[in-house]
Amino acid sequence: MDVRRFQKRKAIGRSVIATAVVVILVVVGVGAYYVFVPGQGAGTQTTTPTSTQSTSGAAGTLSLTFANVPNADPAKGSDEASSAALANLYDSLVFPTSSGTIQKDLATSWTVSSDGLTYTFTIRSGVTFHNSDALTASDVVYSLNRFISVGQGYSYLFSPYVSTVSAPNSNTVVIQLKKTFGPFLSALVRLYVVDQKLVSSHYNSTAPNNDYGSTWLLTNDAGSGPYQMSSANLESNMVIKAYSNYWNGTQPYQPQTVNMIGSSDSSTVHALFTSGQIQITDQWQPYSNVLALSQLKEAKLVTIPTVNEFYLMIDTTKAPTDDIYVRQAMSYAFNYSSVINNIFPGSKPSAGPVPTALPGHNPSIPASSQNLALAQQAIQKSKYYGKLTNYPVTYWWVTQVPSEQKMALEFASDMQKIGVTVNVVGQPWLTVVANLAAESTSPNVVSITDGASYFEAGSVLQSRYTTPSEGTWEQNEWLHNSTLDNMIFSALSTLDQTQRFQQYNTIQQQIYNQYPTVYAFDVYEARAYYPTVVNWYAANGHPIVLLGYDFYFRDFQFYPSQLTALFG
Amino acid sequence: MKSSRTLREVYGRYWYKFSKNDLSIVGLACIAGVVLIALLAQWISPYPASAGLYVNFGNAGAAPSASHIFGTDQNGRDILSRVFFGFRYSLMLVAVVLSVTVAPGVVLGLVAGYYVNRWFSAVIMRLADIFVAVPPLLLALSVASVLTPSAINAMLAVSLAWWPWYTRLVYSSASSIRNEDFVRAAELVGASRWHIMFKEILPNNLGSVLTKVTLDCGWVILIGASLSFVGLGAQAPTPDLGTMIAEGSAYLPGQWWISIFPALAIVVVILGFNLLGDGINDMFASGVA
Amino acid sequence: MKSWTFAVKRLAYSGVSLLGLSILIFVIARVLPGDPARLALGPRAPQSVVEALRLQLHLNDPVYTQYFYWLRGIFTGDWGIALFTQRNVLIDVSDFLPATIELILFAAIIDLVIAVPLGLAAGRRANSIVDNGVRVLSYVGIAVPSFVVAILLQLFLGYGTHLFPLIGRISQNVVPPTQITGLYTLDALLTGNPGAFADSVWHLILPAFALALGPIAQEARIMRSSVVENLDKDFTLSEVSHGLPERTITFKYLMKPSLIPTITIYALDISAQIANAFLIETIFIWPGFSKYGLNAMLSKDLNAIVAVVMVAGVMFVIANILVDLVVGYLDPRIRLQRRTEE
Repeated sequence: MDVRRFQKRKAIGRSVIATAVVVILVVVGVGAYYVFVPGQGAGTQTTTPTSTQSTSGAAGTLSLTFANVPNADPAKGSDEASSAALANLYDSLVFPTSSGTIQKDLATSWTVSSDGLTYTFTIRSGVTFHNSDALTASDVVYSLNRFISVGQGYSYLFSPYVSTVSAPNSNTVVIQLKKTFGPFLSALVRLYVVDQKLVSSHYNSTAPNNDYGSTWLLTNDAGSGPYQMSSANLESNMVIKAYSNYWNGTQPYQPQTVNMIGSSDSSTVHALFTSGQIQITDQWQPYSNVLALSQLKEAKLVTIPTVNEFYLMIDTTKAPTDDIYVRQAMSYAFNYSSVINNIFPGSKPSAGPVPTALPGHNPSIPASSQNLALAQQAIQKSKYYGKLTNYPVTYWWVTQVPSEQKMALEFASDMQKIGVTVNVVGQPWLTVVANLAAESTSPNVVSITDGASYFEAGSVLQSRYTTPSEGTWEQNEWLHNSTLDNMIFSALSTLDQTQRFQQYNTIQQQIYNQYPTVYAFDVYEARAYYPTVVNWYAANGHPIVLLGYDFYFRDFQFYPSQLTALFG
Repeated sequence: MKSSRTLREVYGRYWYKFSKNDLSIVGLACIAGVVLIALLAQWISPYPASAGLYVNFGNAGAAPSASHIFGTDQNGRDILSRVFFGFRYSLMLVAVVLSVTVAPGVVLGLVAGYYVNRWFSAVIMRLADIFVAVPPLLLALSVASVLTPSAINAMLAVSLAWWPWYTRLVYSSASSIRNEDFVRAAELVGASRWHIMFKEILPNNLGSVLTKVTLDCGWVILIGASLSFVGLGAQAPTPDLGTMIAEGSAYLPGQWWISIFPALAIVVVILGFNLLGDGINDMFASGVA
Repeated sequence: MKSWTFAVKRLAYSGVSLLGLSILIFVIARVLPGDPARLALGPRAPQSVVEALRLQLHLNDPVYTQYFYWLRGIFTGDWGIALFTQRNVLIDVSDFLPATIELILFAAIIDLVIAVPLGLAAGRRANSIVDNGVRVLSYVGIAVPSFVVAILLQLFLGYGTHLFPLIGRISQNVVPPTQITGLYTLDALLTGNPGAFADSVWHLILPAFALALGPIAQEARIMRSSVVENLDKDFTLSEVSHGLPERTITFKYLMKPSLIPTITIYALDISAQIANAFLIETIFIWPGFSKYGLNAMLSKDLNAIVAVVMVAGVMFVIANILVDLVVGYLDPRIRLQRRTEE
């Protein structure tokens, strides 16, 4: 039997070694290629046009993460990433400022009729879309009509009010309202102007519902903003690049390309930031991670104010939370300071349904705070008292935000103290959205952060507490309160700001008395960034708190050479 | 006396075959240890409260130390205790999934194999084909994703993806065994069909089924952990190793212990079941006695 | 029974299974709470628009009618609108599938290149260091979940040493090659673009390896045991005693028979990779079909879920048929056996 000896010979050993060597050579070869020919490997393949790149001295890509890839259809996108992309790709009639007001953008002037129903705008001349088409009043008319027809995204701001929109000449737009809408001008920051010719040439007539070019707009842009779309992959990222013919000119150090990465996965973000591949982290990272990242060389932690509030939205129709005393007890039993100190440091206590930083907030509503004695008193008044174990409370948190689970557990252990059983369930964001569409599928409590679309309390009050907002992710309270609806809508149609704000105050007090919501805290976003690489107005105390506008990249100063110095 | 001696001899021979390979013993030890820990978790955990509704943010993310051997997690809970209780969930998943899939799967396979030319045999097997037309993980993911995430639904989803493999395994051997002489003989002497199926055919499949069961334990845990990893498993605060890895990975690399220890724990369980399965495979393998 | 009739028969059976699968998934997807039209249009869309879409999508019809329309749509190219991307699911699938196929193919290559020599080496010298090494590796590969491998690789090789990119398919500063097949590496070769080729291979290594580790372990193990088995066979012994060169014996007479069981398991493992890729693509932000599928599942995007399951099913079934054909080709005994069985 020769097999044993046969096995001792070397042929196999050689072939293994040979294979291993080949594999290693390939790996090393590829690696070496990249070490020695960085970026050059692609030869002429740099993405930005050479004209913009060579002049500015600010070549390079600013990269940052968001919870998702932007939906860049101006009539559809409304989350943070989409809002940020839209603010850069498109122009609007007016633009928000860091002081909470609006300034001229595409509109150079406007007049309002005395009855508050007719708005006449003069449109800036000499503005061109990214394909060099001239922007005219008819594009504005088309954009508003398209917005309302598609009926998604921010369009709910306008659809109840806008009657007709017309362009008597190429630089005048007249918008006629059905009923008065006090904050109409503020809301116009969300009307993004698209190129009528370009979009209407990309309608998908075979789409089951009228598509209005929506599919095309996901991966292309038809705007006139300071940035234009370079590439979009709906599963990973969107890359935008500076538009050299922007009507307001380019800034010397604005980033030439921006990579908006659609992932807030913590380990990925951690790795990307540590290696300098992103320069700003998203707002969804656990605080301990942001803190750790900010201690890296040249990195810094910022907490940026927002007009967002973290709400624990309580269903007022399901047992046991249909009982006001149960809701009141919950509001008193929740340990707000633990949440603010341990889970979302940097945030501030909320005071009622409207974020305190928002114009129109009612200052007489007390800040949320824990009071176990009052909680016990309230729960004893409840009709469920003594049989609360039969009525477990379902609490949903959004799985994309790991910190929300901590808050859920805090809530559950706090409620245990007043005898309320809480079943914590983590749900992906879109599942939450789908289930909040109907009263039958929504949970007792869901934790969601929400905020103003424009600079007024009315924005939040309308989107959070009116009957038309039921079925959207912005309301799980299911208030069905027609009196409250009337109050909110009449406030919104009040033209005089002082009167309007007085009405907002009454409404807030009214809502507060019903305990439909646990007002967890006013959101301050904790982010890590590299201040020497990117000079960011929002981190320097001048945030534009409207969702998305902290990422107006034209006003960033980006220094790729600093990045190279830090990371080679 | 005599019969018990032979029985002991039989067991002795099985044990000899099993223990011939040291790794089988290691596997057995791993699983015995894990089962013991899971059963006694309440008493041997240093902080049993950590497995329940408990938060202590003041002590969150503490590194491994004498008081917390595996450190604490993002909510300040003792990871060692949660790993101990996490074994419970893993084993429960295995127990539930295999107990609701093996028996029906085997019975269906037996019936389909024995009545191989009857119409319902074809129906059973085509039905099984439907469930194996996609990889089990994918089927389990898609079923779990349409249900509300919970431990029970995760178990249900995995079970739905699991039963046909047993049906197919038993079917293929039963359909050939049914033509063997001893089955024919039993039919000739008028043995009942149930007798033939369960007393004649089934014992011949027991070895392969048992081997598959032990090897599957590891796979079930792996698939369960994958479901948990994407958030479709047991919900907080239930300790579940897959969820612990997923949640802990948010704190990598700084607080590596939050995810690495649960990952090690799951490796021990899966490895244990695989080694055990190999041992059982050796045990039933024909040849060297 | 010729092998092509066998293939046709298998194909017919598979067709029935896939049809059954589609009914199963479709029913599961449709009994879910939530109005697909409302979900597609978003919460703020006017009720009239939603109603119009419901009508267009036949959502007011009974489930079996809806299924019929869906089935017809599958063949006419209307796969329904995906909620997440707001596009026809077919466009999404054709957009994202190539990235996943590329990843799986690359993993398959790594698997074969590593597992076969390892198994051969281990089997040739049972209980040697190589053999024990392979044994340890095979247990590690089986016991360590692929998502754990992925996280560790990303941490140590991507983040720790900067040797490999952390995420994505291609570097920011490299333009993807002109699309021909959608597989970056292949397109780069076809268009003569070495930079893009090297870059995409570089991006492929970590995710592909994370995906391949389990199968490598499995295949090395199978290869090893069948080599051991074949070493004891008479034909090997006689070849050795005839003094045939060792290289000839190993590669010509030992490797081929040992490859048969390995290839069978190999192909099954590869076809199951589309499911494993779900987690790997998520970790590496690989813009592929599996990540799309997971997103669809986690967001209950019904049209997309149904499509993802069906596409995966078709790929899985085709792979299985191919395995049977290839194994039948490699091993005449199986071919014969099949002939007698039929």
